[in-house]
Amino acid sequence: MDPSEVEFLAEKEMVKIIPNFSLDKIYLIGGDLGPFNPGLPVDVPVWLALNLKQRQKCRIVPPEWMDVEKLEEMRELERKEDTFTPVPSPYYMELTKLLLNHASDNIPKADEIRTLVKDIWDTRIAKLRLSADSFISQQEAHAKLDNLTLMEINTIRSLLLDSLNCMFKLRSNLQPGSSKGQFMDY
Amino acid sequence: MPCERKPMRYGHSEGHTEVCFDDSGKFIVTCGNDGDVRIWESLDDDDPKFITVGEKAFSLALRNGKLVTASSNNTVQIHTFPDGDPDGILTRFTTNATHVTFNSSGSRVAAGSSDFMVKVVDVSDSSQQKTLRGHEAPVLSVAFDPKDDFLASASCDGSVVVWNIEEQTQAISWPLLQKTNDVSNAKSLCRLSWQPGTGKFLAVPVEMKVHLYERGSWDHVSNLSDDLLTQPINVVAWSPCGRFLAAGSVGGSMTVWDVNSKVCVERQKHEKGFTVCSLSWNPSGSQIAYTDTEGCLGMLDGFSSSTTDTNKVPVKKTAKDYDDLFDDDDDRLMDEGLSDTNSPVKKPVAADDDDDDDFLMPATGRVRNRGAILDDENSLDTGSLRLGQDKFGDDDDAGSTVEPTAAPLVPLRPVYEGPMPTPPQRAFQPGSTPAHLTHRFMMWNSVGIVRGYNDELDNAIDVEFHDSAVHHAMHLTNSLGHTMADLSQEAVLLACPSTDELASKLQCLHFSSWDTNKEWMVDLPQGEDVKALCLGQGWAAVATNTLMLRMFSIGGVQREIFSLPGPVVCMSGHGEQLLIVYHRATGFDGDQALGVQLLQFSRRRRQIINGEPLPLSHKSHLSWLGFTAEGTPCYVDSDGVVRMLNRTLGNTWTPVCNTRETCKSKSDHYWVVGVHENPQQLRCIPCKGSRFPPTLPRPAVAILPFKLPLCQTSTEKGQMEEQFWRSALFHNHYSFLSSSGYEINEDGQNQSQKEQQELLMKMFALSCKLEREFRCVELAELMTQNVVTLAIKYASRSRRMVLAQRLSEIALEKANQIQEEEREEEEPEYSSYRRTSGYDQTEVSGGRYSSSRYNQEEEEEEQGGEEEEEEDGQEMETEEAAETKRRVNPFAKEAASPVTPSLTPIGKVGRANPFKVLGSGKPSSSSGQPRVTNILDNMTSSKKSTPLSGSAGKQNKTPVLKPLAPRPKTKTQATLLQMTGNKTSNKKAQENTEPAADQKQPDAPPPASPAENTENKRPKTGFQLWLEENRKNIIADNPDLEETEIIKEAMGKFRTLSAEERLSWTERAKGQSGDAADVKKRKRAEGGEDVENKNENTEADENSAKKKKSLDPSSKLSVFAFNKN
Repeated sequence: MDPSEVEFLAEKEMVKIIPNFSLDKIYLIGGDLGPFNPGLPVDVPVWLALNLKQRQKCRIVPPEWMDVEKLEEMRELERKEDTFTPVPSPYYMELTKLLLNHASDNIPKADEIRTLVKDIWDTRIAKLRLSADSFISQQEAHAKLDNLTLMEINTIRSLLLDSLNCMFKLRSNLQPGSSKGQFMDY
Repeated sequence: MPCERKPMRYGHSEGHTEVCFDDSGKFIVTCGNDGDVRIWESLDDDDPKFITVGEKAFSLALRNGKLVTASSNNTVQIHTFPDGDPDGILTRFTTNATHVTFNSSGSRVAAGSSDFMVKVVDVSDSSQQKTLRGHEAPVLSVAFDPKDDFLASASCDGSVVVWNIEEQTQAISWPLLQKTNDVSNAKSLCRLSWQPGTGKFLAVPVEMKVHLYERGSWDHVSNLSDDLLTQPINVVAWSPCGRFLAAGSVGGSMTVWDVNSKVCVERQKHEKGFTVCSLSWNPSGSQIAYTDTEGCLGMLDGFSSSTTDTNKVPVKKTAKDYDDLFDDDDDRLMDEGLSDTNSPVKKPVAADDDDDDDFLMPATGRVRNRGAILDDENSLDTGSLRLGQDKFGDDDDAGSTVEPTAAPLVPLRPVYEGPMPTPPQRAFQPGSTPAHLTHRFMMWNSVGIVRGYNDELDNAIDVEFHDSAVHHAMHLTNSLGHTMADLSQEAVLLACPSTDELASKLQCLHFSSWDTNKEWMVDLPQGEDVKALCLGQGWAAVATNTLMLRMFSIGGVQREIFSLPGPVVCMSGHGEQLLIVYHRATGFDGDQALGVQLLQFSRRRRQIINGEPLPLSHKSHLSWLGFTAEGTPCYVDSDGVVRMLNRTLGNTWTPVCNTRETCKSKSDHYWVVGVHENPQQLRCIPCKGSRFPPTLPRPAVAILPFKLPLCQTSTEKGQMEEQFWRSALFHNHYSFLSSSGYEINEDGQNQSQKEQQELLMKMFALSCKLEREFRCVELAELMTQNVVTLAIKYASRSRRMVLAQRLSEIALEKANQIQEEEREEEEPEYSSYRRTSGYDQTEVSGGRYSSSRYNQEEEEEEQGGEEEEEEDGQEMETEEAAETKRRVNPFAKEAASPVTPSLTPIGKVGRANPFKVLGSGKPSSSSGQPRVTNILDNMTSSKKSTPLSGSAGKQNKTPVLKPLAPRPKTKTQATLLQMTGNKTSNKKAQENTEPAADQKQPDAPPPASPAENTENKRPKTGFQLWLEENRKNIIADNPDLEETEIIKEAMGKFRTLSAEERLSWTERAKGQSGDAADVKKRKRAEGGEDVENKNENTEADENSAKKKKSLDPSSKLSVFAFNKN
C-alpha cells in the first residue's frame, strides 16, 4: 500500500469548515453534505475542505485534538508508556500534514503542532522499530500491537515482511546444513 | 498594645508589592512585580485566585467590586472583582502609572504617573477625567480627600500638593521631600493618607516623621514620630475609624499611633527588615496587612479590641456584624467611619459630634444619589460613547444592579428606604463587544463581521462578509473614530460620537450602489450624538441623544424624522421593519424599564407595537436585539433568555430559549449572533468565562436548539406539548410573511402543519392511553378535519365509542365550517362538485383503471388498510411498536421533494438526491423529526399540488371532493392499481408523451386555479366519501329521512364497518387530496423498497402485470428525466 493511498483514505475523514458561500445540500455517493450557510460551521470530508480552501471558499476549523496543549499531553504520555497509546485520530499524521500544508493560516500555532505531531510520530515509529527488532531477535511467530494507525503499519510493512521472508529463506537454507545440530536440540 | 505578627508568606516575585482589603474585609488583594493580582481568602490561603493584569503591576485599588490596577503598559485598567473579568482601560499615560486610589464612594479613581501627571477619572465613564498638571517629576502617590473636594499628591520633585479637583488647581504645595529623578530612586514612596470620615487630617510621611496637616487651613498641626524609627517612613495608612495611623518604614518597622494622644501604641518590626511598601487596614479595623519589596505578604492581627476603649468594642462589633450580615458589598470604609462617629468613644475626639453626624449622614445619601444621577446623565447625555459596556461587562452588571440594591441596606439608614432606582443601561449596538476594547467586534450579524482595531499601530475597521458573494472584505482606516457600525447586504453604516471640534458623523458605505459613488456622510446637528443605528432594506435609521430618530434612505436621502419616547437603548432593522428599544422610565431594584416600538414601512406604514414594556428577566438588562432571519423580532437579556414575538397572540413575547441552561460553568455565556426560525437555530458564540468573545482566536459559531419553558418537559406529554407549541410559534412567520406580501415557502409551511398535526395525533394517542377522553377532545379541537378523522378511527379502534362520537361531532363541525367558508367565498358548491367529479375521473386515469379505483375499498381493507394504519400508527407507536418498522410510507416523500418547485430564493428546485434511497429500514423508531415529515404527507399535500399543476398537467390538480355518485362495492381490486394508474398517467404527462390523454375525460374542465386552491385546502374525510357513495343506498332504504337524519344513519352504518374499511376510506380521502404528491412519492418508493408494498405489488402484478412491467423502467428513468429538466 502506498502512503498516498493511505492519505487518500484519510481524506474521507470529516472536518469542520466555515464556508463563505451559500449552497444547498449536495448529494454525493458517500452521503449528503451541507447545507452550506456562510459563516456557519459544517462538517465535510477533508478532500472537499481542502478543495474549498484552495479556492478560498472556506476557513477550516482545526479538529479538536489539533491543539498544542492536548498534543503535548499526548506526547508526554506516548513517551512515558512503553506500549502504543491511543491516538487522537486514526489518521492523525495524514490529517496534520494535509491541513497544515494547505490551511496553516486557519490553524493557530501551526508550527508547534507540526513539531508535536512529528515528535509523537517519531516516538511511535521508534517503538515500532524496537518491537520489530525484538520480534525478530526473539524469533517469535506472532505478535500483537494495539493502537497502531494505518500509516504506521504501512511504513514498516514492506520492510518487515520482506526481511522476514528473506530471513526465512536464509534460515531454511541453513537448515539442511545444520539439521543435525537441530535434531540434537530437540 | 499586644498585636500578633503573623509569619510572612510569599506573595509575588521580588519587587514593589501592594496590598489592600476588599470592601468586606474578607479578601486580601495584592499585586506585584509579576503582573498578577492575587486574591487571598486569608493569609494561609494556599491557592489564591489570581488575575493577570499585565507584565508588572505597580499599584492597585479596590472598591465596589471594581479592581483598578496600574500596569506596565502605561494604562490604568479596571477588572471586576472577584471575577477578574477585564472591564476596560480607565485611562492611559505616556509612561507607567505609579499609584492609583479610589475616592471614598468609589466613583472616581485618581492615578499618578511617572509622566508628572495626576488624573482623576470617573469609574463609570472614563471620558470624564480631570488632569492635574504641575508636578515637575514623577508622581509618587495620590490620596483623595474623603469629601471628594481635594486630592493630595506627592512627587519626586519634592513637593506634596493638595489640589482642588473641580478647578484643577493647586490649593497648596509644600516642598517637603528630597528631590529625585525617578520613583525608583526616591527614598520614600511617600504614600499620603487622608483621615477617613471627616478628612480632618492629611498625613504625610516626611523622613522619619509623619506630618499632619489640617484640612482647609492646610496648617501643619502636629508631627507623629517615634524614637525607634531610624529609617524614612514609606507609607502611612489611617485606620478605618480614623483614630489610628499606621506607618511602615523603609527599614521594615511598623508603627501605629493614636492620633489623639499622639502616642505610639504599637511597634512591630518586619521579620527580615525589608522595606514595607504597602499597608492596608482591614475595614473592620482589626488587622493590618502589609507587603515588602521582596513580594512577601504579612499581617498584624488583633488590633481593635486592645487599642480601643472597652466600651467601644461592642459598638464596633455590632456595627460590624450588621454590616457583615447585610452589607458585604457596600462601601465599607464609609460605614466604618460613620459607625465610628456614632460611637461614644469618638465623642471626646469630635467635639461637634452632632454636627458631624448630621452632616455625614445626608452626605452619604448625597454621594450615592450623586453617583446614580451622574451615571444617569452619563448614559443619557454625555458625548462619550462606551457602548455596550453595561451590556457586556460583568462588573457593569454589578455596578448597575448590585450597588443600588445594596444601597437601601446600608445600616445607617439615610432618608429613603424604598427601592432604589437602577441606573439605566447604556445604548449599545446589538452584536458588538464593548467599545473600550482595543480589538473588538463592532458588529456581528448574519451578513458579516465588522471588527474595530484601536491600538498603537492602527486605528482601523475591517469589514468581512460571511458570504463572499455579497462583497469582498474591506479594510478602512478609522480616522473619524467610529464606534458604532451596522452591516447589511447593501451597505455598511458607521457612526462616531462628536468631539470638541467635530460633530457626530454618520458614514455609509453603500457598496451595492450601481453608480460610482459608493459612500456618503452626514454630520448631525451640533449637540446631537448618535446613540444607536441600524440598517434595513433600503433605509438606515439613527437614534440620537436628543431622543430623535432620523431615517435615511440607503442612498443618503433624509427621510422621516420622529421623536422617541425615551433614551434609546438599541435598534434593529430587518426588511421594512424597525425595532426600537428605549428607556420607558426609571427601573427599580435592578430592573430596567424598557419600552419597545415596532414600525413597519411597507406600503401601509404603521406602528405594530407602540411603546409597550419589554419583558426582561429580573435584574437583567437587554443584551441583544434583532430579528430572526424570517423577520420576527427577538431579543436576549443578560440572563440569557431569548424571547420572540408571538404575532398570533397579540404581539406578546414568548421565551424560546435560555442559553444559560446549556452553559457548563456559571461564568460561561453565549453571545447571540443570529436567530433562525426555519430551521430552528439559535446561532451564538460560546464564550468561556466571559460575556463576549475576543476577536482572536477567531470564534466559531455554535448552534443551540430552542426550547419553550413548558412544565414537565421530561415527560412524554410535556415533550410533545413543547414540540407542538414550539412548532406553532416558529411557523407563525409564514402567516406574517404572506400577509405582508412576501413569497413564502409553501413546502415548509405544509411541513410544519404536518408536523403539528402529527404531534397532536401523538398527544391524542397518549391521552387516549391515559384514559383522558376529555383531553382527547380538547386536542381534537386543535386538529384539522383530516386528522380528526384519523383520531376518530383511532378512538373507535380502541373501542372508545363515546369519544369517537364526540370527535365525529367535532369533525362535522369542522366540515361545516369549511363549507361555510366555501359559501362565503361564493363558490357554487354544485359546480365545484361537478368539476371535481370530472377531475376525479381524470385523476384515476379514466376507463382502464377506473373500475379498480372504484372498487378499491375492499383491497384497502386488506393491504391498503395496513398502510393506513401505519399513518395513524405513528401516533400509536408506543403501543404498536411493530409498525414502526414499516414507517416508510408509500406516500411519504422527502420534504425537499425533487419535484416540488419551491418558492424560496434558495430553492430546492430540481435539486434531487439521485443516490438517495428511501430504504425501508431507514427510519428508526425514535427519530421524531424525519418521520414526521414522511408521515403526514398524505394528510395535507393539497398545497403541493398547486405548484405542481404547471408542470405535471391537469391530473395533478388533485380534486378533493369525491363524486356523489354511489359506487358498487365489488371489493375485488388492489389498491395499488389505482396508484399505479395514477403514476403512469402522471409520468407520461411529465414526459410529455401524453399517452394518457385518451384516458382522460375529454370534457374535463380546465383547471381553474383559484377555485382549485380553495378546494384543495379542504379535503374530505373518509366518512364523507363513504357518505357520498352510499347516500343513495341509505335514501333508498329510508326514503323519509331528513338530511340530518341521513347523516346520523350513515354515521351509524359507517361505524358498523370494520376498522380497516373505515381506514381505507380515510385513506382514500387522503389519497385524493394528496394524489399528486403521492404519485411522485410512489415513483421513488417504487424503486426498491417498502416492505408493506410488497403485498400490493404482487397483487398489482397479478392484475396488471404487463402494464406495470412496461412502465417500471420508465418510472425510474423519469426521475432522472425530470431532474434534467
